[in-house]
Amino acid sequence: MTVAADALWWARARARGPLRVPAGTVAPEGLARLVEPDGRDVWILPVPPEQAGGGAIEEFGLSGTPPEQPNDTARLLAAVVRCCWTDPTAAIWPGADVPWDAVTSVFRHYADRDESAFLRAAVAAVRRLHGAGWVLWDERGRRVRLGPRVAGWSAADLTVLRELYRQMPGPREGRPRDQPQDRPRDQLLEPREGDAG
Amino acid sequence: MSAPTHLALDGLAAQAGTLRIFRQVFAVLAREAGAMIGDLDHLDTDEAILAAFAGAGTDGLTLEQVAAACRPADERLVARRFELLRSYGAITRVVDRPHERYHRAAFAPYVMLLFLRRMAAQGGQSELHQLLTLEGIGIRSPEAAAPDARASLRRLVTVFRLMANQLSGMASTSPVEELRENAELLWGNRQLIQQAQDVHAVVLARWPDLDRECTALRTALGAYGDASDAAAARLIEQAGATRALGLLPVETWRTFARTADVDQLAAVLDGLLFDAPAPWFSPQAIGAALASSEQAAPVRTPPPRPVTGTDGTDPADADRRDGDDAPDLRTLVAGLLAGRDEITLDDLMGTGDGWPAGRRLLARLTAAHHHPDVEAELVWGDGLQVDPDAPVPWVSEGVLRAGPRSAPPPAPDGGSAR
Repeated sequence: MTVAADALWWARARARGPLRVPAGTVAPEGLARLVEPDGRDVWILPVPPEQAGGGAIEEFGLSGTPPEQPNDTARLLAAVVRCCWTDPTAAIWPGADVPWDAVTSVFRHYADRDESAFLRAAVAAVRRLHGAGWVLWDERGRRVRLGPRVAGWSAADLTVLRELYRQMPGPREGRPRDQPQDRPRDQLLEPREGDAG
Repeated sequence: MSAPTHLALDGLAAQAGTLRIFRQVFAVLAREAGAMIGDLDHLDTDEAILAAFAGAGTDGLTLEQVAAACRPADERLVARRFELLRSYGAITRVVDRPHERYHRAAFAPYVMLLFLRRMAAQGGQSELHQLLTLEGIGIRSPEAAAPDARASLRRLVTVFRLMANQLSGMASTSPVEELRENAELLWGNRQLIQQAQDVHAVVLARWPDLDRECTALRTALGAYGDASDAAAARLIEQAGATRALGLLPVETWRTFARTADVDQLAAVLDGLLFDAPAPWFSPQAIGAALASSEQAAPVRTPPPRPVTGTDGTDPADADRRDGDDAPDLRTLVAGLLAGRDEITLDDLMGTGDGWPAGRRLLARLTAAHHHPDVEAELVWGDGLQVDPDAPVPWVSEGVLRAGPRSAPPPAPDGGSAR
């Protein structure tokens, strides 16, 4: 692998975010390889050293790339982590593939608004997260997974996340009580929720 | 002088550019140096004066009427311009006699004004086109002779030479801002050159002996093309760094945006690298976002408990069931009674291995006694049995009895196992 090819990989990763490539692709050093659950594809993700990672921007008091609606977006990411991180004692990637309704049931705890505003906020947040690679969202299939960027969280970050995970309500408890029309669908999803979490 | 100006710096610069064009145009007419107008307000006033005359009809206007018609403008300024226009003959008396107060205006100054404005706005492009068209018509007419063609060629050579000189001078030495102000000289230069080449071809075909003049025109055109290329290259180079979108007229941009295909539009951003959207979510920020959310109800933190209830039952039900030990107690009582109706406490305590077991057994029996669903009771007597060799040396007299409890509960203060 030549210097030019290395630079090309880094430029690609910078311009397009995490890259999904076939498993046999050779990538340079310094780029983390995250294997898809089916083993056929690999995500290429630049993982800088901890003191130069994404958290460094905050330490320097800079604003970084602020997402729109940062609070809602962060809450939805937390909901996805809560639903998809099957075993909080283990690594966070790849996590489970959970129904979208499970995620919204957790998100509802933190964004209790009227139904249309709630759904709009949830979809907007998950689209932003999907665009930035934090979450993989199958819009048509209504499934959500953790995105490759979560592998950028350091061990210390994961400790904080485990604490958050413990404090957050699970998807099952988040079933909307005051909406009977949602109940049959939730009950249909229960076996899958049980599988996932 | 004029009213205090409210223009910002760039507005003044635009005015200065317009005035410069006017000054250049009028240079051939000026009677003496330094007699040119110094403010665009003067031109506006002139225009207003001429417009007032246009609306007045054949009777003409007095100075006072003109001043009233140009009302927002300064009266003294109007008077001064009026006198100036009259001194140049742009305004004349209706009847040429002393103390005549009514005046009328000629039309030529207004046409000149229109021409000047367009010249300043478009750099004389359309005038050049018209000039070229007229030259083309002139040399094509049957009456045209060789001297006409020669004169026509000389005019064209002069025009293009002057333009080329100005452009190449600006392209090489002037600051880029000046070049940008004169960028309209560059617009449509291909069409100009094309038109001039048409004229050139016609002349060369009709009067082959004018080849020297034709050569001069060719070189002038070449010089103009080179100069405009150099100037455009410098402008584009600067524009790449400054994103000066004002270099081209707005309509040119619109035309490009409407007619370009996807590749052309994308080529605008060639050489630029855009970062992927990469907001960073630190767990601390996520925690803060969660803490700041307006929650429907306070979420209790459930204590960690072993994973049970995977059969899908409500954890609350599981709690209640776990707490309900009636079947457990029934089994215990049935095991102890083993079919009998009652058994003394002394017998029960004798089977254990001392105080701890006795205490546990007594606690469960008491629970069974008090449980509404367990049909067993403890009945206490008054005596105290002492047997130093037994595992539990002192035992109150008591009986564990099956069946529903008798109505008055016996006094429980008969002593515990202690």
